[in-house]
Formats: sequence, structure tokens, C-alpha cells
Amino acid sequence: MRALVVDDSRAMRKIIAGALRKLGYETVEAADGAEALKVLGEGPLPDLATVDWNMPVMDGLTFVTQVRANREYRALTLMMVTTEAEHGQIVRALAAGAHEYLIKPFTVEALEEKLSLLGLLPEVSQA
Amino acid sequence: MTELIEDLEPDYVEDEALAQIVEQMWASYFAHVEFLLPSFEPHDIDGEILCASVTISGARPGIVTVSVEKGVASPLAAALLQEDDDALPAEDVYDALGEVANIVGGNIKALVPDAGPLGLPVVSTAKPLHGSSGRLAARLDANWRGQWLTFEVWLAGAGDTTPQNTGQEH
Repeated sequence: MRALVVDDSRAMRKIIAGALRKLGYETVEAADGAEALKVLGEGPLPDLATVDWNMPVMDGLTFVTQVRANREYRALTLMMVTTEAEHGQIVRALAAGAHEYLIKPFTVEALEEKLSLLGLLPEVSQA
Repeated sequence: MTELIEDLEPDYVEDEALAQIVEQMWASYFAHVEFLLPSFEPHDIDGEILCASVTISGARPGIVTVSVEKGVASPLAAALLQEDDDALPAEDVYDALGEVANIVGGNIKALVPDAGPLGLPVVSTAKPLHGSSGRLAARLDANWRGQWLTFEVWLAGAGDTTPQNTGQEH
């Protein structure tokens, strides 16, 4: 399986990508929503995108909205991974089309649980 | 009268909440290195500092800062990135410190009623100004590898403007 990690912090991209690789994912990275849209446009479509909320150039909510507006990306599962912890923000993100929401700081176990709920745990990590 | 009203406003963020957030962050991302040891006493940081901060907008604007002695910033970033700190470029050090402020700030924001967007992290060589109305809502001093880290939450009274990030930005 393949995941796109979208976060403006290199440190956080490394943490998230590292956790996903441990779970059996191949990863690609983007530093903001606009760069992530470019990665999607170049293909192939990943199975999952983890999306930070607060980023320069294009924030995560705008990215989610734009992805959901494009039928070509219907198969892409979107998970917000953000410090935005208020209930209202979670509702906004899910209403915009995010499938799951993970609040930073998170553990690898919490990420694994969310992926399991989404049916997106690679077979290698379920063995 | 204003002071009286301000005094009666509930404390949305307290030292204990800040300590819990920092503890949770440490357990999530720094569990492989030495413990962060909280102190009950404030400890000023000697020497040059690096300060990462994020602003909180909304009805009760504020700012969350993480200050470290410059020399500890690189090992701290290396610990977060799980890399050798000898080869870590300054850009990665600022990025990592900024992310620490972002994580703490985001979780603090969730405790503040009617909060608006969180600002992007700013890293500077000086602490930001909090404005005359800013009040220190919570502070945590903690020791890591013999060096002090200071976490602070400043919240303004209702109707005050958002404190500004100042200093030399990186």
C-alpha cells in the first residue's frame, strides 16, 4: 500500500512516514496542500493521504475539499493528522470529506488502530 | 472593575493541563531518550535561547512558547527526528522546535473557548512580546539532560488583540 504524507514540518513528515513504513506502507511526502495536489496529479493514486491542517500555501482543509471535489480521487482515503483538537474542527474536517481524524501527539498504536478501522492495514502488519 | 472581572474569569489553562500535554507529547515522540523532568520551581535559561511560538487567535487570543538554551535545541531536534545531531542543519532544528510548539499550542487551543485558528510556528532568538494585557496562564519548567526547557502559555483578556510573534525569525 502507498501513502502520501502531507505536513509542512519535515520532522512530523519523518515521524508519520516512519510509522507508516513500520506498518508496511510505501510513502511519498508533500510539504503543503498544493504540493500534495501536484503529487496526486502525477500519479499513481496512493491508498491513503495523511493531512496536516495548518500549513502555508494551501492548508489541509482546503486540500481535503479539493480532493473530494475531484472524482478521479474517489478511491483516496483521507486522514487528518493535526494538532487541531477541538470537536468543532473534527466535525469540519469530516464534513469536508476526511475519513478519519488523528490528533497530535499520537502513538504508532493509535495510528494503527485508525488504519485498522479504515480497513487500510497492509497484510504485512496484520500477520 | 475590569481587573475584578478579569480575576473572576475562569482559568481555562492551568499548569497541570500544560504539564499533561507536554508529558503526552514526550511519551509519543521522545520515549526513546531520557525522561523530561518537570520542576516545581521556575528556572531561567542561561545563555542564548531559541524560542518557538505559535499564536492562538479568537475571543481569548494568546501565545504558546517553548524556550530552550541554544545548545540543547539541536540534540532535542535530533531526538525528535531520531537522527545524529552532529549533522543536523539549522533548518531542521528550527523546524523540530517549531513542531514542538505547534503540538503543545494546538492542544492548549482546544482548552480555550471560542479559539480561532492557530498560527504557524515561528522560531526566534528572543521571547515574543505578550502585550501589556497578556497574562501568564501556565508555565512548565522541565529539565532534560541537565538543561532547562520552559513552556509558557500567555492568554489575553477578552477583547484584547492577538499577541505578536517578534524577534529574529528563522
